Amino acid sequence: MDTIELEDVQGYIIRAYGNMQFSRFSLLKVNDPVAAKTWINSISNQLTNASIVPKDQLPDTCLNIAFAPAGLNTLGLSQTNINTFSPPFKEGMTTEHRRSLLGDIDSSSPEKWIWGGLNNEPVHLVLLTFGKDENTCLEYYNTLKTGFESHGLEVQKNLDGLSLKDNKEHFGFRDGIAQPNIKGSGRIGPEHNTVNPGEFILGYKNNYKVYPDSPTILEPQGNLNLLAPNPARPGQKDLGKNGSYLIIRQMQQDVEGFWNFMNDCTADKNGTLNQAESVKLASKMVGRWPSGAPLSKFPDKDPGGVSNENDFLYAKDDPKGLKCPFGSHLRRMNPRDNFEMDTPKKSLLLSNRHRLIRRARLYGDPIIGSPTNNKPKGEVGLYFNCFSADISRQFEFLQYTWSNYPKIKQLYSDPDPIIGVVENPEKGQEQQFTLQGDPINKTVKNLKRFVTIRGGAYFFFPSITTIRYICSL
Amino acid sequence: MSQQNPLTLITPIIPEKIGQLYKLLSDMKYKLEKGQHELFEKSNNIHYLRWLIIDDKNSVFFEGTTLPPKLVFSSNFDGSIEHHLKDLCGDMEHLLIDEIYSCCIDYPKEGNRNLKTRTDYLKQWMIKASAFYRGSPGRSLMQIRQEQDLRMFLRQQLDTKNWDGLTANQIHKQLKKEVKQTGPRFEWLKDTYKMPKMNWFKFVLLVLVLLLLLPVIIIWILIVEFGYERKDEYFTKTRSQLDPRKIKVLEEYEDLTSGEDLNQINSNGNIVKDKQINYQNQFSQLVEMKPGKVRLITFKAMMLFAKTLIPIKFVDGELMGIPTIHFARWVLFDDNKRVLFFSNFDGSWQQYLGDFIDQSGWGLTGIFSNTKVFPKTRFLLTGGAYDEEHFLAWSRSTELSTQIWYSAYPSLSIKNVNNNSQIRVMFSKYLNNKKAQKLFELI
Repeated sequence: MDTIELEDVQGYIIRAYGNMQFSRFSLLKVNDPVAAKTWINSISNQLTNASIVPKDQLPDTCLNIAFAPAGLNTLGLSQTNINTFSPPFKEGMTTEHRRSLLGDIDSSSPEKWIWGGLNNEPVHLVLLTFGKDENTCLEYYNTLKTGFESHGLEVQKNLDGLSLKDNKEHFGFRDGIAQPNIKGSGRIGPEHNTVNPGEFILGYKNNYKVYPDSPTILEPQGNLNLLAPNPARPGQKDLGKNGSYLIIRQMQQDVEGFWNFMNDCTADKNGTLNQAESVKLASKMVGRWPSGAPLSKFPDKDPGGVSNENDFLYAKDDPKGLKCPFGSHLRRMNPRDNFEMDTPKKSLLLSNRHRLIRRARLYGDPIIGSPTNNKPKGEVGLYFNCFSADISRQFEFLQYTWSNYPKIKQLYSDPDPIIGVVENPEKGQEQQFTLQGDPINKTVKNLKRFVTIRGGAYFFFPSITTIRYICSL
Repeated sequence: MSQQNPLTLITPIIPEKIGQLYKLLSDMKYKLEKGQHELFEKSNNIHYLRWLIIDDKNSVFFEGTTLPPKLVFSSNFDGSIEHHLKDLCGDMEHLLIDEIYSCCIDYPKEGNRNLKTRTDYLKQWMIKASAFYRGSPGRSLMQIRQEQDLRMFLRQQLDTKNWDGLTANQIHKQLKKEVKQTGPRFEWLKDTYKMPKMNWFKFVLLVLVLLLLLPVIIIWILIVEFGYERKDEYFTKTRSQLDPRKIKVLEEYEDLTSGEDLNQINSNGNIVKDKQINYQNQFSQLVEMKPGKVRLITFKAMMLFAKTLIPIKFVDGELMGIPTIHFARWVLFDDNKRVLFFSNFDGSWQQYLGDFIDQSGWGLTGIFSNTKVFPKTRFLLTGGAYDEEHFLAWSRSTELSTQIWYSAYPSLSIKNVNNNSQIRVMFSKYLNNKKAQKLFELI
């Protein structure tokens, strides 16, 4: 079995940085490549790696860095070498094809984005700074920032993220519970939730037992002695080894719209608010209760408190979707042992070929939504950050096939109710949520879109060695 | 009447007229995207059709070819070939056929065009499919549409009326009454329909035959492995190494949604697309056979195997476990030197190709490892398609752009089609409460 070189892997892939209440992701533009490389090299020994740290020794701050194609290019990586990256990364999130695949249309169109979009400056690199609280983070950031100007780095935009109490997101649900466990990472979890390192970390075999497509050095440049050979391309150096792809999407959440919709759908006959039913419908769509407790285990009501329950499957407990509907966000994003019509064993095998490591951070008014508390001050949302070694098979597959595509299982016109609904459906295009029931299924019609994509980009999240290599160009 | 048949025509193009032909097909594609399907709707029996141009040395897909350009037509239709050709060349559509095929060699001259000369012309370019798969065997286009109508009606009844307190059995009875009251709309329900079932007898027979042949098969596989596979040139590229120009063309087609409003054209003359990608897509692929009799015999044996097995076993909407294919066919042509593969499928390319690897890697490997530069294969059936990254790259690199593609039911997945038939069959029966519950799980 592969053992991952944890000290060379940037930490955020494997570590959730759970104690980091505040983060600042700075989009930096490189104006002076030579000076910028000097600076990046100088901070490379501060980068947080993926080694296991005992709880009582957790640091107060963390630091990571990721690069977009334009950034690599500006720093001197030749176009020939950039072309060895996977197509989604080098083409970017905003191509016509990706827009329609990801559903970035209407208000979410990249023409309207505030960063990373078609009318914004190209993104170069993102510096990820974390702190145990806001002050610690900003203090650390400010010390780093003193080096920016003198090293030709310009801040394009700061994406400030926070985590709320009990790790809830703005709609009011506990988030980030289900994360795949990576073999060889020194962390253990249930077998059904464990994947091969190559699903997330380049240079290792993936769940198909082959090496993922990893960028390589085709045209020699820089200090090649730093890099390991590419196992899949004999004679070439592996730029990707111990690295990954980081996907960042800024997702604005319409908290008021979300709860108004739930409240309206479940109001009593005389129009009065039925809070319990409203929460129940929202939870059916999410697949977990606000506490995080999964519906497949707690079908009737929220047990309350804070739940980390993730050791559950569907085939035995809820094969017909009577507890957790087939169309719920949770069940779509990880069908576990109930993938389409396959057997439980095969389902797990297939589900685990489409996993993501999610690292969402929230922004805006720290509201935790509910049927009665749903009017945030100003824009709120989350930075949906995730990692995958194969953007097309993992992130894009989840966003299209499991979310936007309305026909999973035997469903007809059910997009993911949380992230897959089209804002302006075509004439006659039905968008509904089916609640499997006995004796008949019920449907919630005319779903509305509650999220708007405001920005996004694909980044290369290199190993610490590769970062040093980039600085040698 | 036999339903759902394939037709493949491969016609040589007059080289000077290829530009005109592209223009014609492109105009028609735009019309289709605008929702002008009448031409293909008229005969009410065409499920899918497509036209594509192959061997054009000016296209990125055929750079450096010395072969003369050809027009390929492929359709899935109900009824006989004779009828289908008549429909295509009949009164309504002969203009289109004339326009397209007058760009091809030896098409009847203007004064000499009539139903007979047209159909005779097309017939001479017909090529038989080596193997053919149907996701909903036996169902005519009309039936598919009727059954969708029934499902929509039932769903609407369930959504709009109060069924509280009733048992599944009572709801079923009530719905039957409602259906009756609609008058002629559902009169077709009187015709009983049975879902196709796997033929166990033939399946066991086939297994027995294969067991008997096993020694021969094993020896043959060893010959292939040691005499050929070890010397073969195999595919080593990854997706990042593919020609971006090709990918762009291929992806563009996936984005187009039929019924798209083409009035929005930006200053560069490009269409502004603000749509999700098609729920259905098509795949056209062209590969060259490896030279030699052994490869040809292996390929033909695999085709024979597929051809025999498909109607016995894969009759319920899944081809070797892949639940997203409406139709698929393999066509060996060009003096047994090349193979075309066509399919109509649900979802995205990544999903479709992923399904192939996940569900039926060995079958694909057994077939396509006989074609040139396939991912490294061992013992005919292993390696190959299971080599995920190289297989995905190989699939993309051998894919062709399609000039025109038409689907009669772009919003129905093959699972929907089969589910609808199941609903129809169960709904028509007398059901006890347990069975009625089963019915309502489907709606």
